[in-house]
Amino acid sequence: MNGNGLTIRAEKLGKWYGNVLGLSDISIEIGPGITGLLGPNGAGKSTFMKLITGQLRPSIGTVTIGGRPVWNNPEIFRRVGFCPEQDAFYDDMTGREFLAGLLGLYGYGPSEVKERADRALDFVELTEAADRMIRGYSRGMRQRLKISQSLAHEPEILILDEPLNGLDPLSKRKVIRLIKEYRTEGRTVLVSSHVLPEIEALTQSIVLVHQGKILAEGDIHHIRGLIDTHPHIVEVRTEDARKLAVRFAGEADVLSVKFDEAEGTVLFETRNRDRFFERLTRTAAGEDLDIEEITSPDDNLQSVFDYLVGK
Amino acid sequence: MAIAERGYTHWQGTLGTGRKPWRVIAGQSIRLAWKRKYFKLAFFGALFPALFFAGGIYVSERISDFKEMMRGAEKFLQINPAYFQAYFGSSFLLFMMMVIMVGAGAGLISDDLRHNALPLYFSRPLRKRDYIGGKFASLAFFLLLLTLAPGLIFIVLKLIFAGSFKLLADYPWLPFSFIGWSIFLSSFLSLYTLLLSSLGRNRRFTSILILAVYFLSTAFFGIFFGIFHEPAFCLISIEMNLRQLSAALMGAKPLFNVPWIYSLLVLSAIMGASILVLRKKIRGTEVIR
Repeated sequence: MNGNGLTIRAEKLGKWYGNVLGLSDISIEIGPGITGLLGPNGAGKSTFMKLITGQLRPSIGTVTIGGRPVWNNPEIFRRVGFCPEQDAFYDDMTGREFLAGLLGLYGYGPSEVKERADRALDFVELTEAADRMIRGYSRGMRQRLKISQSLAHEPEILILDEPLNGLDPLSKRKVIRLIKEYRTEGRTVLVSSHVLPEIEALTQSIVLVHQGKILAEGDIHHIRGLIDTHPHIVEVRTEDARKLAVRFAGEADVLSVKFDEAEGTVLFETRNRDRFFERLTRTAAGEDLDIEEITSPDDNLQSVFDYLVGK
Repeated sequence: MAIAERGYTHWQGTLGTGRKPWRVIAGQSIRLAWKRKYFKLAFFGALFPALFFAGGIYVSERISDFKEMMRGAEKFLQINPAYFQAYFGSSFLLFMMMVIMVGAGAGLISDDLRHNALPLYFSRPLRKRDYIGGKFASLAFFLLLLTLAPGLIFIVLKLIFAGSFKLLADYPWLPFSFIGWSIFLSSFLSLYTLLLSSLGRNRRFTSILILAVYFLSTAFFGIFFGIFHEPAFCLISIEMNLRQLSAALMGAKPLFNVPWIYSLLVLSAIMGASILVLRKKIRGTEVIR
């Protein structure tokens, strides 16, 4: 079963809890691939997740999946998998019973339920613990079980609310690999997290939510390029640090130059990154500078997040 | 040995659609209840009255064999609607049913609320009515085993032991009364339990609530009836209302001189309120984060 590019679409979506704003005027389309939903605590990530999984009714606007409304439309969830942030287990059940019970809700027959449960448990490496009571599971095992229930029916859209919480590094890598596998099959995956490196390990495509509104969406680097208020930082490692610093100090688009001769680095702040790199390349070639390394310390998710959220 | 790349193998079969989700919920709830330590004991304990009354039917047909043993019990052993009313309206049976409700039903919704399981359920092709219906069915299953099943067995035993259809000829409405009463009682107690289970996240709190509301309503009736000698106070007691209604359905003399229709209205109102509250509470997963 290959994904056919189901799309999550929100139009003018808003949610209030009484006088408290949850989300405001969200219009967005999330297509195939992995999209990271980012935001600090209380930003509205969970509200957004609940709205697109039909647990909350929008105060205003609509949410559709594949063109069909989500609210009050349980059939849509045959094609959607959801991993909630909170633990949601019956401690008196075994892992296999938990999974089988939830799979039964899709209408699978007993043999198919068993096969799917076995496969999902095997994938998250819980086969040996499958017949143990959940109350004896560790945090990581519980998290893996929770993820397995969202995948066991092989949904075309996978919605994961903080899926890597509590996982050990090995399990994290495993889950990240799985999520990426979904991407390669043309499925839509939405992952929320407030841990930026986790999102960065998964995708470059983000939706940044803050105070109930979308601050930015798209490719991390593209978004960074659009943030004019914060100049780009470029670090160049070279033996000719002083010479390079002098060469660029007079340029109009270079705002500051710091060099550390001992370390052999020059740190530039520039408003026009493209022009800067073009000039740097020309200078390096023309003046025979020995440049060892060029890095952009603030061209990453953390910086985008900090700049947009205003930290 | 090479390290094998392990990935998720996708299902190539067809998606099933024939099963009703409420059945899955009901089956799961029944299995969970049956796994509890004292539930089996309580359930089999609740079946004792049925065995006793079934024995009574046998003895009533062989009364001459038991003449010495059963002296003075001939009146009780007349198999008529009053005999069955003594079973269906007995305080002990109702008490055991409440115990069963505590064992099987106290945590049905409160555990889901405590474990935040509702998002898991409702992010699947499951409607609210499937969820409530499944939970309801699991409780009704146990209650029908204590009411409808013994009732039908009583009739069959009577027909076998008597070797005639006289009971059905004299009281042709009796099987329908058994069915009607069993369904009503099971529905009422199931909804009552689900209502109280949805009011908290703590199974113990719900267990206490189930028993407390039932017994306190009867205690208040006893107090008011003792002071004012007004039989209409039976309407505030769940147990008395149930016994009034069972007497009416079995064609037996009611306990109090109060029209049974009032008891029906009181119990129906509680059922209606339960449905409304459940519909409101079950989606109530709105958490401000």
